[in-house]
Amino acid sequence: MDTARRGETTTMTVPGPQAPRTRNDAEIVLAAEDLWLIYPTAEQPSLRGVTFRARAGEFIGITGPSGAGKSTLLACLQGLVPRSVTAETTGSVRVFGHDVLTGTLGADGSRIGLVLQDAEAQIVGMTVAEDLAFGPENYGVPPAEIRRRISRALAAVGLDGMAGRDTYALSGGQKQRLAIASVLMLEPDVILLDEPTSELDPVGKAEVFEVVDRLRRESATTIVMVEHELDRLAAMADRILVVDQGRIAADGTPAELLADVALFLRTGGERPPAAAELDWRLRSAGIPLDDEPSTDLVTVLARITALAEKHA
Amino acid sequence: MPVGYSVYRPTGSTIHTGIDPRVKMAWLGTMFTLALMFNGPAVLGALLVALLVTARAAKLTFGDLRPYLFLSLWLTTLSVAIWPTYVHGGHLLGHVGFVTVTSDGLLFGLAMGFRISIMIVSASLWMMITAPQLIAAGLLAMGLPHKAGVALASAIRFIPFMNAERTTIMEAQRARGADLGSGGPIRRVSNSVPALIPLFSRAFVTAQNLSIAMDARGLGASPHRTSALELRFGRRDRILVLAALAAVVIAVLCRIAGFGVLLGSYL
Amino acid sequence: MSEPLIQVRDVEFRYPGHSPVLHGVDLTIDRGEFVALLGQNGAGKTTLAKHFNGLLTPTKGQVLVGGKPTSALSLTELARQVGYCYQNPDHQIFAPTVDKEVRFGPDNLGLPDAAELADRALALVGLTAQREANPFVLGRGQRQLLAVASIIAMDPPVLVVDEPTTGMDLAGAERIMRLLASWVADGRTIIVITHDMDVVAEFIPRSVVMAHGEVLADGPTEHVLRRSDLLPEARLLAPPAITVSDELSRFGVGRCGTIRDVADDLVHILGGRDAGRV
Repeated sequence: MDTARRGETTTMTVPGPQAPRTRNDAEIVLAAEDLWLIYPTAEQPSLRGVTFRARAGEFIGITGPSGAGKSTLLACLQGLVPRSVTAETTGSVRVFGHDVLTGTLGADGSRIGLVLQDAEAQIVGMTVAEDLAFGPENYGVPPAEIRRRISRALAAVGLDGMAGRDTYALSGGQKQRLAIASVLMLEPDVILLDEPTSELDPVGKAEVFEVVDRLRRESATTIVMVEHELDRLAAMADRILVVDQGRIAADGTPAELLADVALFLRTGGERPPAAAELDWRLRSAGIPLDDEPSTDLVTVLARITALAEKHA
Repeated sequence: MPVGYSVYRPTGSTIHTGIDPRVKMAWLGTMFTLALMFNGPAVLGALLVALLVTARAAKLTFGDLRPYLFLSLWLTTLSVAIWPTYVHGGHLLGHVGFVTVTSDGLLFGLAMGFRISIMIVSASLWMMITAPQLIAAGLLAMGLPHKAGVALASAIRFIPFMNAERTTIMEAQRARGADLGSGGPIRRVSNSVPALIPLFSRAFVTAQNLSIAMDARGLGASPHRTSALELRFGRRDRILVLAALAAVVIAVLCRIAGFGVLLGSYL
Repeated sequence: MSEPLIQVRDVEFRYPGHSPVLHGVDLTIDRGEFVALLGQNGAGKTTLAKHFNGLLTPTKGQVLVGGKPTSALSLTELARQVGYCYQNPDHQIFAPTVDKEVRFGPDNLGLPDAAELADRALALVGLTAQREANPFVLGRGQRQLLAVASIIAMDPPVLVVDEPTTGMDLAGAERIMRLLASWVADGRTIIVITHDMDVVAEFIPRSVVMAHGEVLADGPTEHVLRRSDLLPEARLLAPPAITVSDELSRFGVGRCGTIRDVADDLVHILGGRDAGRV
């Protein structure tokens, strides 16, 4: 499987996200070039020669086993390395054209936001409103404008009317949605999400996926999301990267990637989508399924049914 | 231990909503100053009553104040029992063991009891009428450096979380047969290690992650920081501040004149 | 002994001044069972599980462990019978070395063979080589294994494990589940609190579904996960393997818990080489 693809989008043969949200000539907003990173106390580098690009408006999914370097990559993109997160790096990471490893984003810092995995440790305020105000306050946004943005941000994540609530009393799903809203308060062009649902129960997961999907559909924000739920990710992403042991093991459209079930079973990070796994296992056993491998469950079941009826 | 952020009781009274938090802080300082200026039981007793009236005006109930009132009662009783040992004057009332009990001794004990009661009740009252986020906002408006204000506000924000973590950790260790909290004081400390270490490590990790999250949201990005919470001094606030200042001035004058002062040589 | 290990009889539990968190719960768990307590957060599964080792006692009804009511037993006595492993290993880990951590439980219970039990527990989870290591330098997966080891070192016949797969990647989830399954095969009774449906379908033979403090369903997993009338009320979704095997059941596909099993069945029916091995 190829490693870096340079922003090409291929035509989908299976139902997936609507027509790609981004044109081939859209601005490149994120670019990592041969990025190597090692933490001070580590024996091995956490990132080994990572190269990838994201264009404005793309939805990029990132998967891979624990410890593969996904969170580290997002921290670099957010400009946290080496300022807040100490690590030695070589290579470059350019965000909106600025090299964030050697310089800062400056005023462009508000154009990129990060939602972390731990819902609790990213909520700053005692109340919802206080937390939402934190980001814009840091960038000197006038108070009247901050108050205006609050109702919009809450509506975008389905927490309407909850500005006065105490944050400690929120459920896990609500806390993560608040975290997303707090990032939206800065009206960023890029949102990075680091496994936002992995600590949540099914209800919380559904709430967060719904919010991210709505963002994808209703805005032009570039979204980069690390996630283990491949089915949900495949339904939303334009491209998926698989990170394994600090390297990009695969980079392609959901259709291309999810058919490579062997890759997922080998890296052990995620459960492959049911349809893809079933299709692949049957083909490997020599069962003659027509046409190209599919990642759509309805299609795969229909083909199996047809075959079984013929066989009977 | 508070379940929420603090013992704040939102009753919606005018005292709660209609007064700037900086004024409430000034009021607290004034109460402490007045308590120290006087040492006669009559004046201090009157101040204590005034405090209770204020609590009523803030729509607080006896239940809210009960633990603090009982503590105050206990300390006052202790005070009345102990001070006659050191203070002698006025009428001789008798002897208890080696202690010569005089009227001044009892009255001074009563006054000291009232003084500490005023401090306890006013401090708890202040916490009950000031929302924690307004405490932080008030301090910031009075010149507290911004990052210190963020540190204070986020410390308060994590009180309920740390409380919940503490409960979970204690449960987890008790489920392993750990005996947390019996035995003498020294035993108790070593028995608490299995509960304290996980709590510290959780606090540390949470703080680290929080600081990364704050950096990601631009903490320190711009020297021109704004505040969405705008505190404005109203007319009522101005009047109250002047009243507080006047009260302090009058108290100092009374002290010098000896009014409300039982024993001039004692604080 | 034919006495069920854990009996829950018409239990209600409420915190003072609040409405009940559990009501009318009946449950029996026999020796050697592997049970999943399923439900969303707030359904009452953790509250129920805390009754098994006496951390909570019912406000109405009874919980019997080994035939005796939990209200009559001390926490230490119950810890000998029911081990409780919390979801986040960092809520338990405190000792300077792995070895001391694992010995904490058995030492507290005054078990005479504490050293042997600790060694065996470390061997069971594969951490023997790390016995002198500082627990805080271990990775998240290893700390989880350490937490489980420190509970199993107390050698309880019953083990309650809270959300072992939440926050884990697939490899980590499978590793812990295989470990638990092997312990059931060795004769232990294990109760897993979880909302990870894939893992339940693959590893755990009995499921108890809870919602709003009540038990909605209790029986073999392959039946319970097909109760499409009840799962939505519990805000749970059956894993794809279940719906797929049902779709294909008319061709002879059995009640499978994993896609791999479905593929194996289909290969058998349609005639082919072995289903893909990795």
